[in-house]
Amino acid sequence: MSTKTPSEADILRPINNTSKKYFIGLGLAGGAFAIFLAMWAYQLSVGLVITGLSDWGSGGGVTWGVYIGAFIWWVGIAHGGIILSAAVRLLGMDRYMPVARLAELLTIAGLSAAGFYILVHMGRPDRMVTSVLGNYHITVHNSPLVWDVTVITAYFVLTATYLLLTLRYDVTRLRDDLPGYFEPVYKMLTLGYTEKEDPVVERMVWWLALAIIIMAPLLLHGGVIPWLFALIPTMPGWFGAIQGPQFLTIALTSAIAGVILVSYAFRWAYEWEHIITDDVFRGLTLWLGFFALLFLWLQLQQIIGGVYAAPMDQSTVVSAMLGHPIYFGALSVVAAVLAYTFAQAIRPSLFTKKRSVAAAVAALLATLFEKVLFVVEGLMYPTFGLYAAVPGDYWPSLIEMFSVVGTIGMVAAFFMVVAKVVPVVELHAIEHLREGGHDHATDGGEEVDR
Amino acid sequence: MSTEDTFHPLGEEWEGELEEMLDETEYDTDLGLEMARDAMRVTKGELSEAEFHERYHEDVLEEFDVDDRPTEAAWEEAKEADDEGLVERLADVDSEQERREVMKKMGAGAAAVGLGAWGTADNMAGEPEEPASVAAAQEDDDDGTQWGMAIDLEHCDGCLSCVVACSQENNLDMGVNWMYIFHYEDEDAGNDPKMMVRPCQHCSDAPCAKVCPTTARHVRNSDGLVLTDYDVCIGCRYCQVACPYGVNYFQWDEPDVPMADLDTDHVYDANGDWVDSRAPRGVMSKCTMCPTRQDGGYGDDNRGTTACEQACPPGIIHFGDLNDPESDPNQFLDEAREDPEKPSSFRLLEDVGTNPNIVYVGHEPGPNADQISAEEARDRGLGTAVSYEEIGLVDNRKTGNDEHDGLDGGTIGGGLSP
Repeated sequence: MSTKTPSEADILRPINNTSKKYFIGLGLAGGAFAIFLAMWAYQLSVGLVITGLSDWGSGGGVTWGVYIGAFIWWVGIAHGGIILSAAVRLLGMDRYMPVARLAELLTIAGLSAAGFYILVHMGRPDRMVTSVLGNYHITVHNSPLVWDVTVITAYFVLTATYLLLTLRYDVTRLRDDLPGYFEPVYKMLTLGYTEKEDPVVERMVWWLALAIIIMAPLLLHGGVIPWLFALIPTMPGWFGAIQGPQFLTIALTSAIAGVILVSYAFRWAYEWEHIITDDVFRGLTLWLGFFALLFLWLQLQQIIGGVYAAPMDQSTVVSAMLGHPIYFGALSVVAAVLAYTFAQAIRPSLFTKKRSVAAAVAALLATLFEKVLFVVEGLMYPTFGLYAAVPGDYWPSLIEMFSVVGTIGMVAAFFMVVAKVVPVVELHAIEHLREGGHDHATDGGEEVDR
Repeated sequence: MSTEDTFHPLGEEWEGELEEMLDETEYDTDLGLEMARDAMRVTKGELSEAEFHERYHEDVLEEFDVDDRPTEAAWEEAKEADDEGLVERLADVDSEQERREVMKKMGAGAAAVGLGAWGTADNMAGEPEEPASVAAAQEDDDDGTQWGMAIDLEHCDGCLSCVVACSQENNLDMGVNWMYIFHYEDEDAGNDPKMMVRPCQHCSDAPCAKVCPTTARHVRNSDGLVLTDYDVCIGCRYCQVACPYGVNYFQWDEPDVPMADLDTDHVYDANGDWVDSRAPRGVMSKCTMCPTRQDGGYGDDNRGTTACEQACPPGIIHFGDLNDPESDPNQFLDEAREDPEKPSSFRLLEDVGTNPNIVYVGHEPGPNADQISAEEARDRGLGTAVSYEEIGLVDNRKTGNDEHDGLDGGTIGGGLSP
């Protein structure tokens, strides 16, 4: 455990020091994204025929697959920002302050990846503005897809506003130590800043955090995203009121996992042991376990409802899910994550950061596979199932599989670039660690707010 | 608030809310309420339509600059030919936009209060009223044309002529079977193979149109056809996901027949929208019930026909206006219902509330029904059964067949299938 005192120099380190490893990392991340962009260009030139998708009905396949599953997954991961800002801003759990901004950046990156997936999924993305915005005043009354676009946009705008407002404080105070070549960016960010705005901004971000926290869980992954599916009565694998809470628990599981990974990466890269302390990871791991528990509990509800005297169509799809190795695998992995969390809570010596990172990776994989399977199996087992080609088969094409790698690259590159421009740890966090919260940094012991 | 007693059948509170809504508009609240009160009297027969019109003509002109309610003379004329919807002839209300425009001119406030009272009186009386000027602006499925089909499953011999005709007329790709015929077995109903004829069901409450994020998938106001505007569709495929019947076919790649080779009379409908023939790449398509024919693109003789209907040798597809009691489908259904030998009619998945406009006479598939191949149907005694391969078409679009590559042929890494 480090006994270093957190300083401004610490949070400036990513901006002012760039290693060879950084360039290799950025090359890999950016390269993965660039390769996927080239693949997408090819898809645009020949059509979606290069995917493994087909038509449901006589067409022998499913019309939504990895693109939609991964879209949901990224929106879920984007919930990291809410959890952390809820913890820090509204519940006063100050120990998570050092990772709050990383979580908010994860929200921006995750939503961008999700938005990108919407475009990749579409046959005619060039018509997004004319067809969707042009008819918005009519379609917003009916189409769950339009509700999705609306809420995602609102969430993005709120989070971006939140981030930009809090950055003004930091950038103004650290201005002299920030590189001159980004001067225009800093000028824009701090346009018209005076110290008088600090208390105002603080109140504003509190309200913004409250708005985001009310809106995102209840309306996004607890609302419009599950409603894309839950409101389709003739797809029994999807239909039903449980999808709201179920989607939300899966989203929160993946979001916490995402925050663990990002925090770990930055701590490792910039020697931030005294800023993002072990204690933060212990806390995040507990949250991961809690959400994993809710995830499994709601799955249990669906399984029981689907096997015990269920209507025929529902019983068919639930049996198919239960018999699918991906479903069994995903749920087992989540159960293992839960078991680890439980064990390390009882016996703290079982905790290591690497184990928590492994649990996070496992949770992310499990949620991705679960989401894709949910989309595909729902379409495979419709109520009107007398076609010979239903259930058909679906195996994602290389481009679909690589889209996941490409968007992970996109998100990683986003973090690497942003970290070179603005501090990814709040100055407030450093000030807080130096003042009252000093003991947070020096030991990983019990917390008052645990 | 009005100090007089409430006239609204739903009571004072309801009326108060409507009055508040009126207050929020730029229009005269008192006039709206007064008209609504008299509209109630019209429904009760205390006041004639003509008197109602006469009484408010000046006021309406003053308030809205236009009185788009029918003139008294027009009303009298309309009563003489009372078998047709009034507003249709007066305003030729075709698109939703036009309908909205009409609503607007009539004065949103007056319409809201008047309609509320009127509709409620109708329901309470429990008997249908003559469609009148204001009431006709309401969505009413019984008005105007509603194209649909009655299909005689008992006499379908599975020759697939309709599938071929549809494919040719619309220049569809292999495996894009807008009209899809298949055989199935139903263990609850003996060993005989059964037939299913599955065009788009052209639902009056089409889930596909409801979920569409662009309005590309729409129910055409003039005749209830469910169509896709190929120039607006973004290819998100939510319509296909929401459709209970699996009738949609996405254009995953460049269509086999280029645009230049399409019959220009079979592309744009009367609204000028590109809704007919095969879709271009990246958008959704499905059975259209030939809107260009219904709009006169193939001449008056072909109005009220579809390619599949004309091609069917036993004539089991009865296409026509389901709102017209004398139409071909209704006559067929009347005969079938009178014949004690005939099975009852049904619509597919009636309980999910889509209100499909395809009515079947014949065996209704039970919960354990499963498609069987044409070969198996032949083996089980249906000698006329023909497979898609045998007529040069493709059944499963994804896998294709020996003659034609399916979509899998275009998949990158398609060989990875487990």
